[in-house]
Amino acid sequence: MSKTTALIFGYNKYALEIMANVKDKYDVIKIFSLKEEEELFNAAVEVESFDLGDEWTEIDENVDIKTSIAFCILEDTAENIFLTISLRANFNDLRIIALASNKESANKLKMAGANKVIPLVETTSDIIANILEKPISSKVLHSILYEESALKIAQIKILNKSQFKDEDIMNIDWTRYNGILVLAVMHEDMKSEFIYSSRAKRHVIREGDILVVVGYEEDIKEFEKKIGSERYVNWSHWSW
Amino acid sequence: MLKRWILDFAYFLDTSKSYQKSKRFFYNILENDKYKYKKYLDLFMILLIFISVGVLIREVKYHVNDYLMYFSNYVISFIFFIEYILRWWVSSSMSKIIVARAEHDTFLHRDVQLSKAFLKILRIKLSYMFTVKALIDLFAILPFFHELRLLRIFILFRIFKLFRYAKSFQILSSVLATKKFEFLTLGLFATVVIFISSVLIYVMEGNNPNSPVSTLYEAVYWSIVTISTVGYGDIVPVSQEGRFVAILVITAGIAVLAFTTSLFVSAFTEKLDEIREVKTIEDVSKLKKFYLICGYEQVAREVARKLSASGNTIIVLDENLQRIEKAKKDGHTALNYNPGSVMSYEKLNIDMDKQVKSILCLRENDIENVYTALTIRSFNKNICILSLLISDSNRKKLDFAGINSIVYPQELVGLITKELVGKPVAFEVIHELRSENSDVQIDELGITQRIVDNFATVGELGNKDFRIVLLGIYKYKKDRFFFNPLDSMILEVGDYLLVIGYGIFILEFEKYLHTKVRDE
Repeated sequence: MSKTTALIFGYNKYALEIMANVKDKYDVIKIFSLKEEEELFNAAVEVESFDLGDEWTEIDENVDIKTSIAFCILEDTAENIFLTISLRANFNDLRIIALASNKESANKLKMAGANKVIPLVETTSDIIANILEKPISSKVLHSILYEESALKIAQIKILNKSQFKDEDIMNIDWTRYNGILVLAVMHEDMKSEFIYSSRAKRHVIREGDILVVVGYEEDIKEFEKKIGSERYVNWSHWSW
Repeated sequence: MLKRWILDFAYFLDTSKSYQKSKRFFYNILENDKYKYKKYLDLFMILLIFISVGVLIREVKYHVNDYLMYFSNYVISFIFFIEYILRWWVSSSMSKIIVARAEHDTFLHRDVQLSKAFLKILRIKLSYMFTVKALIDLFAILPFFHELRLLRIFILFRIFKLFRYAKSFQILSSVLATKKFEFLTLGLFATVVIFISSVLIYVMEGNNPNSPVSTLYEAVYWSIVTISTVGYGDIVPVSQEGRFVAILVITAGIAVLAFTTSLFVSAFTEKLDEIREVKTIEDVSKLKKFYLICGYEQVAREVARKLSASGNTIIVLDENLQRIEKAKKDGHTALNYNPGSVMSYEKLNIDMDKQVKSILCLRENDIENVYTALTIRSFNKNICILSLLISDSNRKKLDFAGINSIVYPQELVGLITKELVGKPVAFEVIHELRSENSDVQIDELGITQRIVDNFATVGELGNKDFRIVLLGIYKYKKDRFFFNPLDSMILEVGDYLLVIGYGIFILEFEKYLHTKVRDE
């Protein structure tokens, strides 16, 4: 089995933060910088030098692109966009997450082929506005998403053996099922729908649908067992 | 004996809380523009002024109701008299002057020289009485003696009293006062021209039987009418010499007019920013609730946009003029004040605890944010402060400065990537809930007494009928969040329901909670 790799392009404060947060999920983490090798000699972690004109042959030969992820976090927006577009041009299956300073560069990065863009200013301001305007929900969502709280959010895939398969979504009281809450369902067209949306209401559950649930760890496990499904992460199911 | 008695009385007044309190009250209501009830007195006084002038105009050709005459001549005059006395009283403190003199003389082991204190009081009070405003106040009372017909014209002095009550007049006079020297020069120039031209025209035309200028008074009148470029045409020079004088006066008149106009324009242009600032501060002090953003950079701009989109008022403080201009362009109230200076907040004239929801230190610079937070904490311990953190090594400093919430974008990026690689769909769902443009939202609904009266338990809420997911309840008394509560959980005042659903359905649900009357 090939090793999963996280490729971080750009050696800055965000690189270290990303590295710390993804190291449990990837076997190999490689950081690349546009700086010359001599300049990177004193870096706190191992950093390789790269050039925007690279042919990417080394990555192509040594990294399993399908199981890898790239983070484009160069500080210069134009360079970051150029990097994203050249990665996408060379590796069609590579999952690319890019950091953008604002909405304008976020749009360009999406056009350049990034799977996901984190617009830093918008995200920070969203968090601030939520802390001020909806302090309780902000606290709860933050703890569900980011903190080691007992409450978890999980994605559960409906398998062939699932008891809900082929059932009308309307017939199940999703919201209060065994101590967990089902927030959304994502079906074959890759769009997630709020559980009470008009589209979701008419939906018949099929094999491969993904449920987004919130609950305590034990309850989620129980739920998985009961409905004959499992937690699932697959980036190919992720679309805009 | 009398001296002792006067000294005791002065000390008594100086230390009496009730006396000082009432004096402060009258000072505030008469002189302090920042006192919120002053405007009511001002409006009342303006009304009295207009009644007086209305009566004066009506009286010229028609009979005025006796009661109204009585009201105008006596009641209004009496009110103005009381006002004049009160203003005279609060203009300075006699007791303080006497006490200060007594302390001074006692310190130097001398007999207390009350005469010196009284002289000082006389000087101070007289200097107040001879100020333009006090003189106008005094003349405005004179119509009280309305039997002297000439004194009735003093009613017009009441119009001048408007300067006291209307702030825009005060601004106008303060603007013009900045050009005192220029106006004085202009006045002198005009006087000299009028004087010379009057004498010249009188000399040239005074003995001409065909000329309408036969007295010096008529010559002065003609000069003023001509120099002002009004030119009624009732008096015109008839001789060649007289017409030559007219040419000179007309030329000088154009110069005087141009000079006057340019003086007004330049005075206002120079003071325009100051006038706007005064108006902005006045508007800010009237606001009920707002967010105060210190520093207007990228994040601040976006936060301000989001908060104002959800109906909040934003006030921006920044010492950088360019950023302030940007904030104004974005439609926010912005002041070019240094957020790191106590003076800035004093100038704002606001009640922090009552008016400010939160202070946001959003400079993308930890040093500036710490400085601002410490400045605010130096005069207010309670206000909620949120700050950006740029470098994690400064987190402790921000904590120490008394900042309540810290937002660290770098950490956010790490956490987001962690979720993105682990639970991308779930992350997207939560992210959508937080996004301002999403149809499906997460919201907090406060539990009021009315809701508790109608819905005793969670099971009675019926949120599913509104296609709403009840994520949980935040119990205010226990300061704890209960996820997916049981139907039997009792609702209490102060609790918050955390609901997820379409914005429009949440609004409907909230309305239903507040309007439903319990079925008997």
